[in-house]
Amino acid sequence: MIDRRLFTMPGIRKTLGMLAVLITLQAFSVLFQGKYLSTSIVTLWQQKPFVAVLQAFAFFLVAFVCRHLLTVLKNYVVGHWVEKTIVKLRRDVLKKVGALGPKIIQEKGTGNTVTLALEGIDKTQTYLMLVLIKMFDLMIIPWILLAYLFTVSWQEATFMLAIYPVVILFMVILGYAAQAKADKEYANFIRLSNHFVDALRGLPTLKQLGLSRKYANNIHRVSEDYRVSVLSTLKIAILSTFTLDFFTTLSIAIVAVFLGFSLIDGTKALLPALTMLVLAPEYFLPLRNFANDYHDTLDGKNALGDVLDLLSRPTLADDKTLQLEQWQADTQLTLDNVKVAYADSHDAALTIEHLALQGYQKVGIIGRSGSGKSTLLNLLGGFLAPDSNSAQQITLAGQAVDHLQLQAWQKQFQYIPQTPYIFHATLAENVAFYAPEASEAAIIKALAAAGLTEFWQQLPAGLATLIGEGGQAVSGGQAQRIALARAFLTPERRVLLFDEPTAHLDIETEMNIKQAIVPLFANHLVLFATHRLHWVNQMDYVLVVEDGKIVEQGTPSELAQQNGAFVQLVADVNQLGGVK
Amino acid sequence: MQTIVKMFNTDKWVLPYLRRYKKLLALVIFLGFMTVFCGTALMFISGYLISRSAQHPSNILLVYVPIVLTRAFGIGRPVFRYAERLTSHNWVLRLVSDLRKKLYLKVEQRATTIRQEKQTGDVLALLADDIQHIENLYLTTIFPVVIGWLLYVVFAAFVGYFNWAFGLLMLLLFGVITIILPLASVALNGARSFKNRQLQHEVYVSLTDGVLGLTDWVIAGRQAEFVEKQTALMNQQVKIQRQNMQFTWWRDFVINLIVAGITFVMLYFGKVQFGNSFLDVNYIAAFTLAIFPMVDAFQGISAGLTDIPTHQSSLERMNDYDELTVTAPAAPTITRQAALAFKQISFNDVTFKYTNQQRNVLNGLNMTIERNQTYALLGPSGAGKSTMLQLILGDLQPTSGQINLDGADLSTLQEYRHDLFGVLDQQPYLFNTSIMNNVRLGNLQATDDEVKAAIAAVGLQDLVEKLPDGYATVMTEGGQRFSGGERQRFALARILLQDAPIIILDEPTVSLDPITENEVLTMIFSLLADKTIIWVTHHLTGINFANQVYFLDDGQFTMSGTPQALYAENAHFKQLLDLDTGVNNYQ
Repeated sequence: MIDRRLFTMPGIRKTLGMLAVLITLQAFSVLFQGKYLSTSIVTLWQQKPFVAVLQAFAFFLVAFVCRHLLTVLKNYVVGHWVEKTIVKLRRDVLKKVGALGPKIIQEKGTGNTVTLALEGIDKTQTYLMLVLIKMFDLMIIPWILLAYLFTVSWQEATFMLAIYPVVILFMVILGYAAQAKADKEYANFIRLSNHFVDALRGLPTLKQLGLSRKYANNIHRVSEDYRVSVLSTLKIAILSTFTLDFFTTLSIAIVAVFLGFSLIDGTKALLPALTMLVLAPEYFLPLRNFANDYHDTLDGKNALGDVLDLLSRPTLADDKTLQLEQWQADTQLTLDNVKVAYADSHDAALTIEHLALQGYQKVGIIGRSGSGKSTLLNLLGGFLAPDSNSAQQITLAGQAVDHLQLQAWQKQFQYIPQTPYIFHATLAENVAFYAPEASEAAIIKALAAAGLTEFWQQLPAGLATLIGEGGQAVSGGQAQRIALARAFLTPERRVLLFDEPTAHLDIETEMNIKQAIVPLFANHLVLFATHRLHWVNQMDYVLVVEDGKIVEQGTPSELAQQNGAFVQLVADVNQLGGVK
Repeated sequence: MQTIVKMFNTDKWVLPYLRRYKKLLALVIFLGFMTVFCGTALMFISGYLISRSAQHPSNILLVYVPIVLTRAFGIGRPVFRYAERLTSHNWVLRLVSDLRKKLYLKVEQRATTIRQEKQTGDVLALLADDIQHIENLYLTTIFPVVIGWLLYVVFAAFVGYFNWAFGLLMLLLFGVITIILPLASVALNGARSFKNRQLQHEVYVSLTDGVLGLTDWVIAGRQAEFVEKQTALMNQQVKIQRQNMQFTWWRDFVINLIVAGITFVMLYFGKVQFGNSFLDVNYIAAFTLAIFPMVDAFQGISAGLTDIPTHQSSLERMNDYDELTVTAPAAPTITRQAALAFKQISFNDVTFKYTNQQRNVLNGLNMTIERNQTYALLGPSGAGKSTMLQLILGDLQPTSGQINLDGADLSTLQEYRHDLFGVLDQQPYLFNTSIMNNVRLGNLQATDDEVKAAIAAVGLQDLVEKLPDGYATVMTEGGQRFSGGERQRFALARILLQDAPIIILDEPTVSLDPITENEVLTMIFSLLADKTIIWVTHHLTGINFANQVYFLDDGQFTMSGTPQALYAENAHFKQLLDLDTGVNNYQ
């Protein structure tokens, strides 16, 4: 029900303290409200004139207004704390995502990360708002009322005390039964409820096969199966609410009948009996409120758990003491005995025995899909941490480092992936993303170097045109050129990481773009992972990756003579090449 | 407020279904009403019972009826509530089945055979969520509001039965709680809810944008800025939500002030109506105590109505899906056999332009597709390749010019479409069902053996038979458990079963690595050797399989011919092919 970590949040103790005071006051308001309402009724019952009621009713009114005013106050007190906590949690989550970097996105997916930061926190907010107040209500109000009821009539009060654990026991038992049943059907639920999305996503395929119309009946049928399945689970799942309802309303009925008997006997007067009857529903109210939102709160508890789990993930320490000069013709990066292995990821594991990169080398990284090329690039880019092992040695510009997730290093390079991300922003802001201070002239020059002069001049608002999602559409080739323009604009970043930049482009676009990429290579250390072997012509060093290992490295002509993995790969890739 | 009225007026998704399952709906409302009724009646009768008992009736039988009723209402409330919840869920889920089918058919009308937008899938998932919203609209808004209003009218009428003036007063006072305040709060809060939704959307878009570009933020060293940018928007939203909540708190407070007023009026009513007769005074407690459980039920009205704006956008989106009329294609002029035995398909001066665009996508194209030949179609994105395929398949009609199949207008042959064309695209979808069922989709009449033979033909027999569940293995999440190449091969098996004479290949290997690509292409062309193939491809791997190559740019063919002739005669083509094969100056 409650995540223990909740109580370690800043400000929680003070808030709970205030809440407890307010709820105690409220319990007394409820008590007086019931007492004076009963007094009013009894006065009239005794056939006294209406003026005689006014005093008791005034007391009732004060108690009643106090009670509801206290509800508002409780909400303010908790709301204030929740808001502060939520704002902080959200900021922390974003900071964490920023610190964990692309790795977390690869692992969780963009959608999940966004959902966690938005919906997850929204749910947490609802949860915190609900759970604190309801829990404290339950802990305080019934017991103050009960104590008073004991002074009124101990028999009925004893009954009401005794019924409480029975209700809870039944709820717990039925809750477990429902849970077991729900768990059993859960897989079925998911399968059936996903069926519809599945059909919608597969619509083009169904249409291709001429089955799309026929499939509509299938949708209806599966949906009906789903209904039956849901209802059968629901029958048990809502039994726990039923029990609660049953016992509480029946208890009120029983108390009323008991009271009736003792009144007939003359052992009791109307006022205490009526007070008891009025307060009986109030006694059960906190429990009912708590149970009604049980499922919501469970959801919120999980959301909070997810958020806190994310926040407790370790991040690699950035080595702030590291001083890096700009990459020069003689700067070196060497990796020895570096291992990356991860349990739950699609990326291949990687072992590097020895790799030395120096100056303005142009290094091609080739290999089949899944061989570990991307892992290697991710490692070099500092998006992935190597597994710590004692034999590992990474030396960057003569300084030993543990990993490459270092701001100082990341400031040295540009990374150009298969599909560069275009922000929903103006063209100028997109190009100047890595150099926000860049002048317009510099941006225009970079665009020209990337071959985008004609493109930007044709845009409705030129450099100020909004591009990206929801803005002016940008083709794959143009996106790639914008990424190049970013690199042209930041010549001080002397390392270039390319991850299959042309894999998705058509051959003519690829040829045109190549003419813009090649000039960028000068005075840069280039790391270029690709399937497209024509790039090897522009490389002066090649790494062949296979099964998570660098199996060959050397200049292209050295490798061509070795008749090893490289020659084999070239032959495999080119099987269908050429014209016969 | 007006937008909500307009929403209900133009709605084709909620109201029609209220009529369809009338009886069940009436039952839901009845049960819901009885739940609240029993709760109210329990307090009413209890109040009466103990008041009467306090008068020491000479015989217990005098209070026998109230005693029985007290128990009955005590048991009745939970029982009715239980039944109401089951029935309402049953009703709503039944409705959901219908809605899903309806939505599916609407989307089906618009879906084209050739995938165009990458994000279609997400849009569709959104639509599926919208149905969920409609489900909630019923469960949390419509039912509680209708039941609350019903109770309100019945109670006012009950009081009016004793004294019409007080009945009218109750109608007025409870009307403030059940009608005026809820509607006022929708009106007052509407603007804020709208703003909140807008902000929510902005936050969502902005955060998605940020997260998708996270690599760039990190490498640019601008993480702090990323956090600032996102939190600024979110904090705006927090402020609006705070105002929203405070509004609700104070609204509930005002409702309770009115309840205090009602209590006072009720006591006065009790005095006037019953206060002067020994037997009648017992009703004073009854009426007064009944107020509180009833007010509880009325809380649902405010909450339900305030929720409407959150369902609004879902409903609007669904209703937008409603205005599409399809004209039935003309009757075919040749028989199915004649169509299947076609000799050629010809494009004659085909021009195509979308009605809402200026530019021609295709510009006077001429092309002849001979039977049993393979045609490769290349060109940059946006050149018109997909449009050509959609024209051939009949998803689109030419703006001018004709596409003929042996002299018959191709658009009249839609009836034969699935016998004529098989399509293999970039991401053939594998459904969440067994391998056997997935492949059988190619031809529902195929026997198990035929399906297995098709799977064997694409070389997947070993792989499938080694799986623990064999052919019954379920393809979860679009077949994620299989590699891209394997997924393409399953789709190819489907095409084999379909056995259509014309195969459209829409970049089937674009997301595969070159070695897998080679394998898949070799397999496709060897298994489909006797078919007419139109193959859209983005580069020149396997170009030898094509009899003819066409380059399309800006809606026109820029190069065409056999690959051999083009390589020999066309410098540009030679340059492209050399690039593609990575001609190596390092050897």
